[in-house]
Amino acid sequence: MNQLPVEYLFFVGAIGLVGIGVAGMLLCRNLFRVLLALVIAEAGANLLLVLTGYRWDAVAPIVLPGMPAGTTMVDPVPQALVLTAIVIGVGIQAFAVAVLIKIYHGYGSLDRRRLAAMLDRDMNELAGVGPGRSPEAPAGKRPFPPPEQQEGRS
Amino acid sequence: MNAVALLVVLPLLAAFLTPSLGRVSGLAAKLLGPAVLLFCLGLVWHYSTGDGLPFSIALGGFLPPLGINLYVDSLALLFAGIVFLLVLLAWPWGDGSREQYALLMLLAGSSAALALSGDLFNIFVFYELGAVASFGLVVSAGTRAAHLATFRYLLISGLGSVLFLLGVAIVYINTGTLNLAHLATLAPQSLNNIQGLVAFVLILLGVGVKAELFLVNSWVPEVYATAPGWVSGLLAGIVSKLAILVLLRLLILVFDFPDAHNLLLLLGVAGFVSGELAAWWARDFRRLLAFSSIGQLGLVFIGFSISGQAGVMAGLAVALHHVLVKPALFYLAESWGGALGRLRGAGGRSPLAAAVFVLFALSLIGVPPLPGFWAKMLVIMGLAGEGGNLQITAIAAVLVVTVVEAAYLLRLVGSFYAGDGPEAVPSKQGPGDISRALLFAVGLLLAMVFVLPLGDWLSSVSGEAMNVPHYVAVVLQRGELQ
Repeated sequence: MNQLPVEYLFFVGAIGLVGIGVAGMLLCRNLFRVLLALVIAEAGANLLLVLTGYRWDAVAPIVLPGMPAGTTMVDPVPQALVLTAIVIGVGIQAFAVAVLIKIYHGYGSLDRRRLAAMLDRDMNELAGVGPGRSPEAPAGKRPFPPPEQQEGRS
Repeated sequence: MNAVALLVVLPLLAAFLTPSLGRVSGLAAKLLGPAVLLFCLGLVWHYSTGDGLPFSIALGGFLPPLGINLYVDSLALLFAGIVFLLVLLAWPWGDGSREQYALLMLLAGSSAALALSGDLFNIFVFYELGAVASFGLVVSAGTRAAHLATFRYLLISGLGSVLFLLGVAIVYINTGTLNLAHLATLAPQSLNNIQGLVAFVLILLGVGVKAELFLVNSWVPEVYATAPGWVSGLLAGIVSKLAILVLLRLLILVFDFPDAHNLLLLLGVAGFVSGELAAWWARDFRRLLAFSSIGQLGLVFIGFSISGQAGVMAGLAVALHHVLVKPALFYLAESWGGALGRLRGAGGRSPLAAAVFVLFALSLIGVPPLPGFWAKMLVIMGLAGEGGNLQITAIAAVLVVTVVEAAYLLRLVGSFYAGDGPEAVPSKQGPGDISRALLFAVGLLLAMVFVLPLGDWLSSVSGEAMNVPHYVAVVLQRGELQ
């Protein structure tokens, strides 16, 4: 009965991957790293899905000649779902990287905060409104002012 | 083979063919999509007027719960019809590229599939497909701001799909099935616990990205402000509504427990309050519409949080009203998309467009006898019928925030008729945009006149959607091999 801890280890690993990914998405400043963090989180979610249908005493769900009737097989449904999710994920990642290249050409930076400030300015320009005070801007001085603050306000 | 599958297959096939067809003949690529959409609309009409609803078809010859099925009832057909109609109305006749045509057909096909699907697995796949199509459409604006807005949208959407997958994994661990009807039979025993609630929260946040749910809606103002106007209209009209339909199905069939409803109520109130307050702050027309859209969808969630048929009906009424109003406003924004100050005196320059805007604004606020009034009324009556402390607080919040909504919309309406502004920009309201908006206005007025039969019909639609035993019976027993 030393299977149980191993299985738990996998579950912990899968959820840990998701945690690492989500933390990376929130904390990283470079957009490419944020994308990589998303990929890690997706890997965790996929691993968890595979684990839902996995059995240690079973074989792959493919009927081969000479296989005794009643052989235990792993559940194929999560595997099919994960396969689909991986394919979708790869497609979206490729698209995201392409868009990222366009962003780099357009803005010359991949820094999240700088880009957010520039996006805000672009949207204001597009709409023809002045920079003005953002309603979310803090009233006083921040304890740790981000370096790009002046740029966003100009 | 039952022809219902054509509703999904034909748009996807058209999406596949359009780019290559466009190389041979541009006109053929332009006409293929609308032809397919018209055919699909006819098919939807045929099924919704015929009898034998609801029915379910098993695809590929495997019976549910093992196989994948499409479930066809009035609600699914209603949303599929809305999808095809809105895509047809938004079709960029003048300046579309063949890539945009293909993406539009992809969006139509995946949205119709979301409406019809009876399986969590399929819902995930088509949800992602629709997401990819919407990324492509937003990016097609071609500006660097659109690229960045799309990327940020993509990140949130990707995070949403990770959460959705986690939720699906928890559901699967507990039940061992992904078929909605099968889940409906198992959920009362195996998901009515803390794990079920966690799964619901994860799936809610996952689907909520597209449904502009509070917490995961930061992409909305950026994308709506940078995408082409007709794309924003489609996103607000179709993509968010289909996400809501998915959520409604899951709520009715799988996660029908009080905690889920209360959570929905809280998030809905938060969305409504934050969206309308942000709209009050907005200084340009498009972001005002985007924030107001967040607010309206919050109201939809408040509606769905009411238990029983009253809640489904209230949520659907608000959602359908939003489908009528918001795309039309985004069409107006095609030429009005700018600082609000620039719209001073617009009433004198383009009286018709201003009149249409006034009509929509009044309906959004909920001035009787416009349909928006009845939708809001249904929500408030439903909340009052529940009568809990949370619900009464929600009523107060909705009423107070409606005043804010009225303040910013009427402030804008007032400036339309306040003489010429400082920078009198000549109105460039194109005939195409205003005639599209006019169509929606006519629809709104018709809905106002026929509000009683519409109410009866909506009540029967939501009653049918609420009938879980019937759903299960239709899918699991009578799902004939086609």
